[in-house]
Amino acid sequence: MQVDFRPHGIHLPEIDLWLDCTEVCGTNWISHGHSDHARGLHGRVFSTDETAEIYRMRVPDAAAALNTEPLPSEWNGARLTWHAASHILGAAQILVEYQGERLVYTGDIKLRAPICGHETEVVECDRLIVESTFGLPIYRFLGREEARERIIQCAREALADKLSPVYIGYPLGRGQEIAHVLCEAGIPTAVHGSIARFIPLYERGGYAFPGWVPYSQGNIAGRALVVTPEFRNFLEASGKAIRLIYVSGWAGLDNARARTGAEELIPYSDHADFDELLTLVERSKARRVDVVHGYTEVFAQILRDRGLDARPALAATSGGTMESNEG
Amino acid sequence: MDRFAETCERVAARSSRLRKVAILAAYFQQLSDTDLETAVRFLCCGPVAGLPLSEHLFGKQEARTFAVGRAVLRDAALSVTGLEPDLYRMCNSEVGDSGETIALLVRGLSSGESLSLADAQRFYLRLYHTRLTADRVRLLAEALRAYRPATLKYLLKVITGGMRIGLQEKMVEEAVAAATGASLDEVRSANNRLGNLAAVALAARQNRLHTIEARLFHPMQFMLAKPLDDVADLEQPSAFWIEDKYDGIRSQVHVENGKAVIYGRGMDEMTGAFPELAGAFARVSGSVVLDGEVLAWRDGRALAFTVLQQRIARKSVSRDLIDSIPVSFVAYDILLRNGEMVLDRPIEERRALLVDAIEPLPNAVRVSAQYEAASAEEVDRLFEDARIRGNEGLLLKRRGSGYEQGRRSGAWLKMKRPYATLDVVITAAEQGNGKRATMLSDYTFGVRSGDRFVNVGKAYSGLTDVEIRELTRILRGATVERFGRVALVRPEIVLEVAFDGIQKSARHKAGFALRFPRIVRWRKDKRPEESDDLDRVRTLYESSLNLTAARERE
Repeated sequence: MQVDFRPHGIHLPEIDLWLDCTEVCGTNWISHGHSDHARGLHGRVFSTDETAEIYRMRVPDAAAALNTEPLPSEWNGARLTWHAASHILGAAQILVEYQGERLVYTGDIKLRAPICGHETEVVECDRLIVESTFGLPIYRFLGREEARERIIQCAREALADKLSPVYIGYPLGRGQEIAHVLCEAGIPTAVHGSIARFIPLYERGGYAFPGWVPYSQGNIAGRALVVTPEFRNFLEASGKAIRLIYVSGWAGLDNARARTGAEELIPYSDHADFDELLTLVERSKARRVDVVHGYTEVFAQILRDRGLDARPALAATSGGTMESNEG
Repeated sequence: MDRFAETCERVAARSSRLRKVAILAAYFQQLSDTDLETAVRFLCCGPVAGLPLSEHLFGKQEARTFAVGRAVLRDAALSVTGLEPDLYRMCNSEVGDSGETIALLVRGLSSGESLSLADAQRFYLRLYHTRLTADRVRLLAEALRAYRPATLKYLLKVITGGMRIGLQEKMVEEAVAAATGASLDEVRSANNRLGNLAAVALAARQNRLHTIEARLFHPMQFMLAKPLDDVADLEQPSAFWIEDKYDGIRSQVHVENGKAVIYGRGMDEMTGAFPELAGAFARVSGSVVLDGEVLAWRDGRALAFTVLQQRIARKSVSRDLIDSIPVSFVAYDILLRNGEMVLDRPIEERRALLVDAIEPLPNAVRVSAQYEAASAEEVDRLFEDARIRGNEGLLLKRRGSGYEQGRRSGAWLKMKRPYATLDVVITAAEQGNGKRATMLSDYTFGVRSGDRFVNVGKAYSGLTDVEIRELTRILRGATVERFGRVALVRPEIVLEVAFDGIQKSARHKAGFALRFPRIVRWRKDKRPEESDDLDRVRTLYESSLNLTAARERE
């Protein structure tokens, strides 16, 4: 099956289907709702129901166009199915079966179960297109139970020190997971609006947020706050009694303190760590692997050393930063 | 060592200086005497103490270097992890610290044995006594397979010489005082006398700080002067002794039994650059620690710092250089005489001791001239005289005052006119320390050169906390790349900086560096393209050389 890797998305020309295309295109599979994947207007959009809802919230014009629809099982001679991906709520992999070849595009993914969302269903295939956001052996993350404990422990310690624990979360995914954990633990929690707007979606997905309140200025003493990275700068500059807590794959390295100004680092991500990536590739049984995001060159080399036909699919980025990757 | 590593992690996870000190003090309290000494020694390795590792681990007597380089660490890590060198290099460049990188990579490969401080000390000694590189690699690899990754991280950081947990030696002093019940002043002063905080900690624990005697040949803290911007702010000029403020290298000279060592402010040794001074000092009878300034000197007057600069940063100098750029030492204070610290004696007594110690020495060493003034006008006149003599300005020293190490108490005041100011652009920003730990407070700046900016210096102070917060926010948004604590930023912010001179610099891309730059104000009204350019820096540098030449012709 022919696969064209373009800067703005992946194209399967024989069946004319785009995968996570971020510019206007004909028909596009959106793997999950993060803005570096779900963006732009397209002729038709295939996705899971949850991703469709997020996409319509984030791209209001798409709602008007009503162009989202469930993945059809047949498409231009190919058989299409989606399979859950551990990442954010609604994330999924797509399996394309065409002329006897099985191709899986993972989108953003990890192997272990997330705090909120579905568990990855590993799909055996011939060719795997996988991300490598954390494709170096220095990256190893906490499982969800350990992460849950650390999130709660950091909040309690900060509150005992008369500081407001401020969690730097991304608007979609990490932010809701942290808020969910804090609320369930009975810690008074204020959530910034850009994160809070997705709470109803998560509630419908079965995750409770008992007692959360919307963040408002001056409303921080004695509470945990869940805010976006941009908002962190504002809080920090305000000189308030806060302790920053950074929950991210990037928090696995001490230099994250300098990058973010956070005191506490909790290495938990909605991406696979290095070992998970290797396991995922191995369990897929794919012989051909295309590496599309993060440490593409290095990770492809590591897979080649293990005897696979692996290639970096796009120009390698220099690892990525907090701003460019929702780590 | 396991508890030591846990404590370091907890210290790293707090930005407040008070909390860091409290965590450390609580840890110190639980240690035995021997462990306390060992833990303090490990903590004060590398940048924390500013002393070579060998001195801390093995005492002054064994001056052999503890040459375990990063290549040895890397080879040990490769042999344990089986990684390709390229992959290791990539990991290390992402992490930015060999100890941390290796600790991350050996997770799951080590058997998780616990390690005591005493065992860690024995491990370093074995490593130290192992001379062959291959054997060192083997020994390190054994350790990597044995101990907990969290512990290995700090076991290796002690070797590479930097904890990177936001801890300064001053804070370790505070923790030692808090943990032992000794007063901070006593701990500080004992550390100044001895230059070995580990031994001081043990003495503090055993309640015998007062028995610590002064030891020479380790740099002690200098007394600092507070700036006096306007002579009108001086209430009583007659309360001060007045000396010229020299444009040289502030130095501390230790002499005992014919051996002389010259230390700079950065606590670095620079005896080799000034052999004629070392020779002159060697004639001192008894022991002495002097405070003063090394100057390029000809025909009875100081030459500009730019001239002197050619002699610094050399391990040894040629006869030609010694002849073409003669130097002189102007002594202005004394910290120790014949084994006794004399800091607490009034300045007048110290001056008498100083004159007595130095008088027999050759001309290359002289005592700074002292003046008196009855009025602000007289101070102004002295200031002009000092400028005519080619010096920077004046130092005013309060009568009857002691030598206050490491302090800027106002007993010494400095008066100097700024050189000029330049409008420069921030190109990189670094995280501060203490209460500025969450802010980008240290700025590297450049001037325009074509369509680029080339760095000419770095400055820390001069802005208010509110301004630093605001700048932090803007600079985070303007960050293009990060290296550990340093963020490279788009050149957007213009600062006006004052400085004391311009010198040639191989380290700076511009080829020039500003001396003692400080931020005057944030020029929100200026765009980067309106900042000063490299030509202006060159012009200022050349005019300073011409000034020197003109003085020489006079």
